[in-house]
Amino acid sequence: MPEDLTLINQLKAHDERALSVLYDNYSAALYGVIIRMCRNETLAQDLLQETFIKIWQKCDSYDPAKGRFYTWAYRIARNTTLNSLRNRPDLIQNEDLSVYDNKEEEDGTPIDLTQLNGSLKKLESHHQEALELVYFKGLTHREAHKEMNVPLGTFKSYVRQALTQLRKSYELLLVVGIAIIERIL
Amino acid sequence: MKETHDIIESGILERYLLGELSKNEMASLERTLETDSELKSYFRQLELDMEKMAMENAVSPSGNVKQALFRQLEGDTDKKIIKIKPRRPSRSYTAIAASLAVLFLLSSFWLYQKMNGIQEDLRVVRDQNNLLLDENENLVKNYDETIKWLEELNNADTEKLIMKGNDLMPEARAISYVNHINKTVILNAAGLPELPSDKDYQLWADVEGEMIDMGVIPKESEMIVMTYIEDAESLNITIEPAGGNDHPTVSNLITSATIAP
Repeated sequence: MPEDLTLINQLKAHDERALSVLYDNYSAALYGVIIRMCRNETLAQDLLQETFIKIWQKCDSYDPAKGRFYTWAYRIARNTTLNSLRNRPDLIQNEDLSVYDNKEEEDGTPIDLTQLNGSLKKLESHHQEALELVYFKGLTHREAHKEMNVPLGTFKSYVRQALTQLRKSYELLLVVGIAIIERIL
Repeated sequence: MKETHDIIESGILERYLLGELSKNEMASLERTLETDSELKSYFRQLELDMEKMAMENAVSPSGNVKQALFRQLEGDTDKKIIKIKPRRPSRSYTAIAASLAVLFLLSSFWLYQKMNGIQEDLRVVRDQNNLLLDENENLVKNYDETIKWLEELNNADTEKLIMKGNDLMPEARAISYVNHINKTVILNAAGLPELPSDKDYQLWADVEGEMIDMGVIPKESEMIVMTYIEDAESLNITIEPAGGNDHPTVSNLITSATIAP
């Protein structure tokens, strides 16, 4: 997704319309991370709101030259959620995920938070788990390798390999997509 | 570049992206990224892949969150961040304004009702005033007439004749005022009994044995100016067919009075 610098500049100028567009673009991706980390819908909604409040308040510190807006927003969402969970240890990842299985969304589509979607699903299970732990559960590499019971170096290679596989998968999708478009044209 | 390859293999970029690095580690890596375009390019790709993965695993939050977010921002904007926007009128101001509006509406309605009432009163007073004016006009007219009669009757030259009814109509009374100087005859016929509609009283003057018509006495009149006849010796009233007669019906004479010479 290309990023619109004008939108970022409007956000920095505290234009609420820019925040609204950014919310529409990124809230679902961020909420997907937050709710997988905290597994509590009410808390996840509060944390998503808090995340966007921080985005609004700290937008001056975001430098587009250093990275994408979503990366910056992801770090805020992750830290906000981790801080909240540290203060509420009862909510840390020891709940049964199945509680949230088949949870009805507003449009009636069930969401299964135990399942990851897209290209991630096609990865080998240890690669999938490695990315899930660091990206969707907010564990650090040091925490995650213990969780997977593998040495830190091995874990790092899992993450690297997982991302490489993901990359290939997306490239393949791109090629297939271009091929389909060419066919249509 | 070996260093670039080492950095990529170390997995520090992933940890940087995830936000696991300390401030010092971050600052150091950012400096390297600024100068190493290959590394930068690799990191950009990493960002795109991670973002894509996140998008594939997105979960739509309830619409309430966005509403709550912007409500909170609106509150914060007013209180803390930018005070450019004028403060929204508080609920109490709104309530006061609403109360005043209601009060104004009620008082306007009351004044309107009151004005309608006053207009009605004014109309009644005008009508009464017109009636009084009419009455006053009548009174003035009556007064003038009375004064005229009084002047006439009080005149020293006026002779008053009491005319009493004869056997034919003993209850009849009439008073004649004769003024030879002004040559006027005024008759007060209030004492004459009512006649049927086909009959009228008629006044006659006796001049050397001949009865000369002095006029029909109108019904329901009190003071009547009659025709003055020179050298009349007496005044006579007869009952005649309605409208009067050319010659008196002497058999119907009810009263007579002699005029002093």
